[in-house]
Amino acid sequence: MNRNLSRALAALALAVAVALPAFAGAYPLQVARNIIMYMALAVTWDMLLRSGQISFGIAGLFGLGAYASVLGVLRAGMPAWLSIPFAAVFSGLVALLIGFLILRLRAMYFSIVTLALAEIFRIVIHNLHDFTGGPEGVVLQGVIFGGDAGKLYWLALAGLAVALGASWWFENSRVHYALTAIRNNETSAKSSGVNIFRWLLVAFVVTSSIQGLLGGIYVQSYGFATPESVFDANFTLLPLAMALLGGVHSTVGPVLGAVLLGLAAEWLKLKIPYGHLVVYGVIIIIVILFMPQGLLGQARAATRSADKRRKA
Amino acid sequence: MAMKRRTTILVALGLAAAVLILFWKPTVLIYGIQQAGLYAAIAIPMGLVLGIVHIVNLAHGEFMMVAAYATYFACRATGMDPLVAALPTAAVTGLFGWIVFRLTIRKALKAPELNQLILTFGLGIALSQAVNILFTSQTRKISLDYVSASVDIGELSFGVWSFVFVAVAILYAYGLKLFLTKTTAGKAALAVGQNPRGAAIVGIDVDRTYGLVFALALALVGAMGALFLTKSAIFPGVGGPFTMKSFCLVAVAGIGNIPGILGASLLLGLAESFLRAFRDLRGWADIVFFVLIIVVILGRSIKWRKS
Repeated sequence: MNRNLSRALAALALAVAVALPAFAGAYPLQVARNIIMYMALAVTWDMLLRSGQISFGIAGLFGLGAYASVLGVLRAGMPAWLSIPFAAVFSGLVALLIGFLILRLRAMYFSIVTLALAEIFRIVIHNLHDFTGGPEGVVLQGVIFGGDAGKLYWLALAGLAVALGASWWFENSRVHYALTAIRNNETSAKSSGVNIFRWLLVAFVVTSSIQGLLGGIYVQSYGFATPESVFDANFTLLPLAMALLGGVHSTVGPVLGAVLLGLAAEWLKLKIPYGHLVVYGVIIIIVILFMPQGLLGQARAATRSADKRRKA
Repeated sequence: MAMKRRTTILVALGLAAAVLILFWKPTVLIYGIQQAGLYAAIAIPMGLVLGIVHIVNLAHGEFMMVAAYATYFACRATGMDPLVAALPTAAVTGLFGWIVFRLTIRKALKAPELNQLILTFGLGIALSQAVNILFTSQTRKISLDYVSASVDIGELSFGVWSFVFVAVAILYAYGLKLFLTKTTAGKAALAVGQNPRGAAIVGIDVDRTYGLVFALALALVGAMGALFLTKSAIFPGVGGPFTMKSFCLVAVAGIGNIPGILGASLLLGLAESFLRAFRDLRGWADIVFFVLIIVVILGRSIKWRKS
């Protein structure tokens, strides 16, 4: 019953997503693209969180991907479409290298180091004037697909599909057991033969390369990159708030949170031009204090108690 | 013992660097020391919270920013000097901190460490964005005559006002040391920091102590917010970078080692000032902190595994 319901909802969401370009204008499509991108980032953040590691460095890998894509086109003469997978590979490789160093760290030390790394990436890009364009950034010749709103939407949706696919793989394969075991109790996971470091590295590299991919898509859709625009702290903050609100350790939670917060933020942006992000801060506080399992957890608890009442 | 040794090493390194720079470019040394004072005075309250309440307050810099805004509007309204406003600001920020602690952080103390990290992260965003809504992102500044006071020694000419930060940093470090070792409340706080359960068993109100320590730390940050306003322009994002820098300094000094923060600040202030002295390297000065924090954390993690 419950499974049928969730399948029906997923099919409905898919139908809406596919049908949207047919009847929506350029502005709603642009809003949808934004929400889709943040949704994909939220899912990737959650994928790493399933191992118990909190990353504050989404913006860093996203921004690296964005710059890899722009510079791939400008400096290496890549076609725009090729620069997007290149961005994914580049962020993935960087993640592989730093993963060897930082995945031995736990808890707040891991989080702080990811935050510091994001800052380091930004400062490096900021200062390599000749190669990256420095603080003024770089402008592409044109936007991918000539800026066609429909095609850009499909591109964003493709990015989301990659994130959701990877998340589904994480949930329905050995990865799920490995990451859950690491999160619950590292010592017992280790003694059951889970190679902790290897699985963390897999999770970190996969999520980072998807973040890089999304950075590539983002930058190709807007046609320019500056250190401040692509390493913006919002790329860390918004996905985090979305995943927390929806409910962590699942694919559905971040997706749900992204839809709710994305629409709310778009509406608030029109009402309060300055500082509408305050909502994100407040939501993070409320969720942590009153419903650490997010909306999904609340819903689960509610259905569970309803079931109990029916049985009694 | 290890703490003492680390403090000595940090201070010795800082002094050695200072002497070298003194002969090369004295202004680099002076501005480095002034900058170090500013960093240390802001980092010490964070070290206090981390050492006793054991939470990383990612809203630390934002609290200072809020205090600076409060001072700004109080001074604008009454024509008061920010320097005079430092004490009332400290009291108000301390009270504000106590309320924030009671309403939010206290409830997350028993939750996993990461929840606290995300909670204070959210607090920081809420504070900076609330200021953004209320006062927009326009920069604000109070111009004061005495800030531009300078001293000439031979061919050397430099601003002296920023030495006030150095004085405050030293005052904070040794004031806290006296407070924690000589007063009953301070001793209780130290006991709670070392072993909350043990402290509770001997009859210390742990919850209240946490609240008081947090409020005290925020009062110190609040006074710094007022002093910060004398020197710098403020905007909603002005506090953010200080959070990371403060954490970096506390981590370098070692959690619970407040005088060590002075040494760590000196080292970092001088390194930054040194890089800024070269035109080509100026943009790289910001990276020093972040590289250092990663090196320190990774270095510690290797040491942990050995032991």
